[in-house]
Amino acid sequence: MNRLLLAPALSLALLTPCAVAQDARQIMQEVQKRQHSTSQHYEGTLEVIGGGNRIATKRWIFDRLGDFGNSKGMLRFTVPAEVKGVGLLIVNHPDRASDQWMWRPNIGREQRIALQDRSTRFFGTDFSFEDLEERDVEQYDYKFLGEEAGTWKLQSTPRKSSQYTYGYLWVKKDNYTIVKIESYNKKGLVRVIDYRDFEQAKGIWTARTTEVHDVTRNSRTILKYDKLEYNIPMKDAGFTLDALRRGA
Amino acid sequence: MMLLRLISWPYARKHLLRWLLTMAGIVLGVGVFVGMHTANQSVLAAFRETIDKVAGTTQLQITAGEPGFGEEVLEKVQSLPEVRAAAPVIEATVSTGQGNLLILGVDMLGDRSLRTYDLEGTDEAIDDPLIFLAQADSLIVTRTFAEKNGLQVNSRVPMRTMQGDLIFTVRGIMKPGGLASAFGGDLAIMDIYAAQKFFGRGRRFDRVDLALLDGVTLADGSAKLRALLGSGYEVSPPSSRGEQFEQTSRIYSLASNITSIFALFIGMFIIYNTFAIAVTQRRSEIGILRALGATRSQIRTLFLTESAIAGSIGSGLGVLFGIVMAHAMASYIGNILTEVYGVAQRADGIQVDPVLIGGAWAMGIVTSLFAAVIPARAAAYVDPVKALQKGRNQALSEGESLLRRWAAVGCAAAAVIAVIFSHSTAIFYAGFVLGGVAAVLLAPSLTLWLSRFLRPLLAFLRPVEGTLAADSLIQSPRRTSGTVAALMLSLALVISLGGLARSSYDSLADWMRIALNPDLFVTTAQSVTSRTFVFPASLGDGLRAIPGVDEVQLVRSVRVPVKGGPVMLVALDIGSVERRAKLPAVEGDAATMYRRTERGEAVLASENFVRLHGGKLGEVLEIAAPSGVLKLPIAGIVRDFSDQQGSLLISRQAYIRFWNDDSVNVFRVYVKQGAQDSDVRQRILDTFGKQQRLFVLTNKDVRDYVTRLTDQWFGLTYVQIAVAVLVAILGIVNALTVSITDRRRELGVLQAVGGLRQQIRHTVWMEAAAIGFIGLVLGLLLGAVELYYAIEISRRDLVGIDIGYAYPFRTALALAPVILIAAFLAAVGPSESAVRGSLVEALEYE
Repeated sequence: MNRLLLAPALSLALLTPCAVAQDARQIMQEVQKRQHSTSQHYEGTLEVIGGGNRIATKRWIFDRLGDFGNSKGMLRFTVPAEVKGVGLLIVNHPDRASDQWMWRPNIGREQRIALQDRSTRFFGTDFSFEDLEERDVEQYDYKFLGEEAGTWKLQSTPRKSSQYTYGYLWVKKDNYTIVKIESYNKKGLVRVIDYRDFEQAKGIWTARTTEVHDVTRNSRTILKYDKLEYNIPMKDAGFTLDALRRGA
Repeated sequence: MMLLRLISWPYARKHLLRWLLTMAGIVLGVGVFVGMHTANQSVLAAFRETIDKVAGTTQLQITAGEPGFGEEVLEKVQSLPEVRAAAPVIEATVSTGQGNLLILGVDMLGDRSLRTYDLEGTDEAIDDPLIFLAQADSLIVTRTFAEKNGLQVNSRVPMRTMQGDLIFTVRGIMKPGGLASAFGGDLAIMDIYAAQKFFGRGRRFDRVDLALLDGVTLADGSAKLRALLGSGYEVSPPSSRGEQFEQTSRIYSLASNITSIFALFIGMFIIYNTFAIAVTQRRSEIGILRALGATRSQIRTLFLTESAIAGSIGSGLGVLFGIVMAHAMASYIGNILTEVYGVAQRADGIQVDPVLIGGAWAMGIVTSLFAAVIPARAAAYVDPVKALQKGRNQALSEGESLLRRWAAVGCAAAAVIAVIFSHSTAIFYAGFVLGGVAAVLLAPSLTLWLSRFLRPLLAFLRPVEGTLAADSLIQSPRRTSGTVAALMLSLALVISLGGLARSSYDSLADWMRIALNPDLFVTTAQSVTSRTFVFPASLGDGLRAIPGVDEVQLVRSVRVPVKGGPVMLVALDIGSVERRAKLPAVEGDAATMYRRTERGEAVLASENFVRLHGGKLGEVLEIAAPSGVLKLPIAGIVRDFSDQQGSLLISRQAYIRFWNDDSVNVFRVYVKQGAQDSDVRQRILDTFGKQQRLFVLTNKDVRDYVTRLTDQWFGLTYVQIAVAVLVAILGIVNALTVSITDRRRELGVLQAVGGLRQQIRHTVWMEAAAIGFIGLVLGLLLGAVELYYAIEISRRDLVGIDIGYAYPFRTALALAPVILIAAFLAAVGPSESAVRGSLVEALEYE
């Protein structure tokens, strides 16, 4: 469900809003189409705002090779010094949940993130490991719910294993960017993700700021994207366990 | 009630000291029983509590004995649809400056599905989870441990690991309660992958804890997991670990049960003695009551009620005393069990079991009532006419003595027959009881005979005082025989346990000479039994390269499930052991059994394994291993004391193949001829000491450690022996106090006709010495028999090892002055009471 690493960016399509408004899947296919890129690179700054407004700041570098449902991602923390070198390799699959491995240089070994642990928080942020997955639109069922302030409101229901039972998405009519996601589980609302500060990078509308609100913990994480690049040359060898172990 | 108020209460008030002494017997008996049991139960309860608190919401645990298993098992378990959450665990106990610290290695990502980490100051699991995971030196400690050691978040904690001496950082402090109260609060959480590294576990987990999806039953979940993993793994609820520990420490519980019951048994004789004396003293009172129309039943009830009251008060005080004792003993027992079984305990507080307390209290009363049955019956049958004739009933009638003697002979004969047919456990134990009964029945007659035997000697030493002392014993055998019986039983206990200890030490010394013959032992801890840390096998090559090292044997000791219980499996290079430390063969062909075992075709079983687990030569054992069930025959039975529950020796290669574990607990190092042990030791320390946690123990260190462990094992037994002797000495005080009171008139007359105070003192002292001497002689004799039974019980049901019969002559010699001095000291009070009392009162007495 997550679009965090997708860095939502949509180009202005010439689709007729009225024509697609009634077909939620078509809307999402268009969102995916406009975000298409063969690779992505950015440097992210994370601010985790916990209890008592205490702010913890971290930075990471992210690379992605491939696209929806069949991509590979490598995330590497750079700041603060205590966590520098900690990495995460994500291998997305079109037909099942992703494989994820974490690298901890201090221990000198990788650790597979079990499927059952995907709902746990990603390194103290308000994202879960599952939120880091990049799933194809075909892995969800969609339902059109209506229009709200220049957006289409859709309901998405995952077809494969997920911590979420369903979610609501708000897609801007003018540029097909997702501006907000609400994710629910059996107990109710779990997370709210807001996408802001959209800019075009290589023709792809990209949110420069993503804010995640963990409703149950009442904490927030703000992710800001710098040095964003799309469609740059990357090698498959940079997205393997060996590459994870080698470090940045 | 009226009889109690009018008759019993004034008598009790008048003889307050005696009643207090009598109750002291019950207090000690019940106290030792309650103390031992409460301490034992507290240790077991603390262990269970730790398991329970550490388990959290865990429903099932996957284990494969102590070696654990590879990481791949976790993924398999997590893949099962019925499993909601599965998390790996490593448990390790490390020694800190302030006792043991239980370190729980967990995967912080998934573990919170099973356990709650209630942290202080924040709702985060730790201040910064990423830093906790990224920094291998991260620890979460409990508030209890933090306060004890003055720690706060970011405090540094030094620890000796397999990566050398490291400084760990406290990154979170858990609030008290729940998980944080496990192991008495001395608990720390570490990332599991860091724990693997620092404890030398390789890529292995100790176990996997898991919870099932809602609606999946434990039975279904277990069956699915067993089918998935195969028979080499155990799938069981967390509580079964407590049961396994109870099974492992069963020997200790059984041994302490036997001795505490013995203490109560001795206490019973004190009560019997007191009531027998009371009946004798109060015969005129009883006669008057009977003359006034009191029925036999009323008299019997009166005495039994008195006994029940005394038993009730004594038991109550005994319970309190036992609880105080348990406080002192719990941590001691915990330490012993940790050392002997290598399983960490922490029983800081004690758990008082109401059922045990109620049971002990009732047992004290029942014992008291039982002890009073014969005196009460004697009281009920007092002839009112004879009762007024002083001294008439004090002597045992010849018929009574004869009956007892014949009963004793019958019991003794039955006991001898039982020895012949002792292959049956029931017959053996019946013989043990009958032997004791025979000794007790014979005690009055033997006391009388020995008193008569002593009379000339005492008269020779002090013509007047000696004769008076001997006559007092001869005329009042009932007053003395109970005390002598109690003393006899106490001393028999001392001799049997002392003999058992000596025989055990002798056997251990023989075994150590053969099995523990390497010059140096490279271990991960000062305690040889600790299996928390393990070495990589590669260290063996490094040790071999040290100048002066001749040979290095790699040893891996682990408890694995065999025949339904945890059994110590010792994996080593059998060929090298055969050459260097060939264990004596009890059964099997010594020439081939080592070769078959070395080839991995068989195992060698220790003598005690075979006895305690019912094995035999040639039997094919099924040993659960992660790669499947290993089926190996017993090629030979050897004498090995590696473990109290028995051990199996297996080829190291076979172990590595089936357990996929090449780690090492201990390297046995043989030094080349001409090289100095101390030089080689220093070279090892210089080469490896700073790189990793490593201890180099000399042969003497290890032997001293084993001996110290044995000392600790027998330590509590010695306490019980001391209590038993104390109870018996109290009996002497009691008997003498009665004797003085009984003869107050006689002693008063003596003084009135010119007897000196010193003469009265000497009389009492000699009487005490005579009681002590008789008890000593009978105790040493009975001890010789009891020692046979102690060795047999130990062989059959405790440690399963044949230990030679060796009478502890030194202990016997040491006991003689101890008992005679104790008897003398016991006589000081009563003798002073005899000479300092009012002469007029003494002459008016009765």
